[in-house]
Amino acid sequence: MAGFLKTETGRGLALSAPASLYVGLLVAAPLGILVAYSFWTQTYVEIDKTLTWANYLEAATDPLVRHLMLRSIAIAGAVTAATVMLAYPIAYFIAFRTQKKTLWLLLITIPFWSSYLLRVFSWKLILGFNGVMNSALISLGLIEEPLTFLLYNEFAVVLTLAHAWAPFAILPIYVSLQKIDRSLLEAATDLGCSKLERFIRVTLPLTVPGIIAASLIIFIPTVGDYVTPSLVGGSQGKMVANLIQVQFGPANNWPLGATLSLVAMASVGFVAILFVILATALGRRIR
Amino acid sequence: MTDQNIIEISGVEKRFGTFTAVKDLNLTLKEGEFFSLLGPSGCGKTTALRMIAGFQDHDAGTIRIAGQDMAHIPANKRPANMVFQSYAIFPHLNVGDNVAFGLRKLGLSKAEMKDRVAEALEMVELGGLQARKADELSGGQRQRVALARALVMRPKVLLLDEPLSALDKNLREAMQLEMRRLQQKLGITFVMVTHDQYEAMTMSDRIGVMFAGKLEQVDRPEVLYARPCNRRVASFIGGMNFLDARVTGDNGSTVDVNVQGFGPLTIDVNPNALSRSPDLLAGIRPEQLEIGAERPEGYDACLQGIVSDIAFYGESVHYYVRTDGMEDPVSVAVPNYFHTVDHKRGDQVWLGVQNASVIDLGAREA
Repeated sequence: MAGFLKTETGRGLALSAPASLYVGLLVAAPLGILVAYSFWTQTYVEIDKTLTWANYLEAATDPLVRHLMLRSIAIAGAVTAATVMLAYPIAYFIAFRTQKKTLWLLLITIPFWSSYLLRVFSWKLILGFNGVMNSALISLGLIEEPLTFLLYNEFAVVLTLAHAWAPFAILPIYVSLQKIDRSLLEAATDLGCSKLERFIRVTLPLTVPGIIAASLIIFIPTVGDYVTPSLVGGSQGKMVANLIQVQFGPANNWPLGATLSLVAMASVGFVAILFVILATALGRRIR
Repeated sequence: MTDQNIIEISGVEKRFGTFTAVKDLNLTLKEGEFFSLLGPSGCGKTTALRMIAGFQDHDAGTIRIAGQDMAHIPANKRPANMVFQSYAIFPHLNVGDNVAFGLRKLGLSKAEMKDRVAEALEMVELGGLQARKADELSGGQRQRVALARALVMRPKVLLLDEPLSALDKNLREAMQLEMRRLQQKLGITFVMVTHDQYEAMTMSDRIGVMFAGKLEQVDRPEVLYARPCNRRVASFIGGMNFLDARVTGDNGSTVDVNVQGFGPLTIDVNPNALSRSPDLLAGIRPEQLEIGAERPEGYDACLQGIVSDIAFYGESVHYYVRTDGMEDPVSVAVPNYFHTVDHKRGDQVWLGVQNASVIDLGAREA
């Protein structure tokens, strides 16, 4: 035993054992249980443990599931696009236009200093019927009746999440911008590029990895988010996670909930891989 | 080289806050000339180059390229291209696309662009390497790609910022000759910044030596070596023994001097010397001194001393000779003709010098 621990393999295994144990118990095991549940069925109060594809069949044919799944992906896509597009200029500013990088990076993490729930409720207060936005617009005389399209829809979900995710997008993009050798930018200028051409032909392709990282970090958890849609999404802002939550809660159909979870995971994985391939290929096309 | 002026710089100054990086720079370069700006790091040579390229504005004076004032012309519109110290090879593009980078702006046909890229790569002996990825290139290859990428634009002026400093010694020496050959074949004006005196001397038609933001002397390499304008330039280029001297008589083009250690000599007045004074600084190149166990015959002045150190360089042996009344030892370089080291440390030796070997370096600074 002592001899084994002195070998390269032994030391590697010993060092990674705590993490492996942790991941095994908290990720692999629950996932295994989830997979098992997805092949069982619910009969009133008991679980029928006969293996069956019934849940998958239901998930594939139920229009509500498809609708919510597609909407989740669309909303997550919109959140990702909005966040990355808003984050890029900020990351660019920190990387190229300021000497006080640490101060700015610190400021960007400020949203983390309050709880996520608190921030979602703040958006409710801002966007609500008698909220900050409507009161301000009415007192300015710009509108007479409060606007109702601000809250309880997809827009509110995108806005809230884009705000919440901003640091997760800014940081990886900032890192990829920061890594760019400044002489590459000068070389592009020297070879005749205007500032815009230089951005498109050098800066942008060199930050593709940062954009991909930011997009995945945002897209994947957003598809499965259920807090935000519950609080600010209203009925038209509901997402697949809300449906899953219903299965594990009020509907008490764990097997179907498990199936929906796995279907959602597979869909997210598929879209994410497709996105990485497309973004990489697009980045390579720029010459 | 032609008689046409390609770069005319007059009264150019650059300040960063309170620090003046370049002071009153005046310089005229001929078309087809290979010019080097030589100086220690921080002397302002790179700033000068970047002002010509357009990466840095100048605070005073004018820069003209091919007769055109560059004051309001941005870097991307100037008829000059640059080879960067880091080579700045675009990591996301292959060799062919790196070289074609600037060409894409010119609206060439696909075939024409392909031809020009191929031609440029042939020129730097990287023919057929278009598809090679940027991260698969060696240091020497990166340097060549950077060169091809700039030359393919057919610039009037090629600016080179320490182009060889990242290469190892053998490759660097080979590239020096190759770049010189290429420059002569193309007839493009090259302006190179370097801190390496040998690089500057082997490649350039003329060299400008810069110290602390000031261009001190501009001359052909051999003149710079034989007639440096002051102590700084003399010590930056080649080895030099500095000796105090006192002028005892003025004969017009020559002066009689009493040189520390050696005694009376008659030396040429250096037309490049920046200052005159009866208290003169005299310089003697180590390889121009004769060393022997006996007093050497036929020399204009001699000095006796003791060998304090010996340095063996392979192609030459350097002896350091101490003598009474002199603070620093006199260094003597002897070509290694016969694979012998003739003197040992502690040996008594004689040094001999000719009038013509003693350089007038102007007034001795306090």
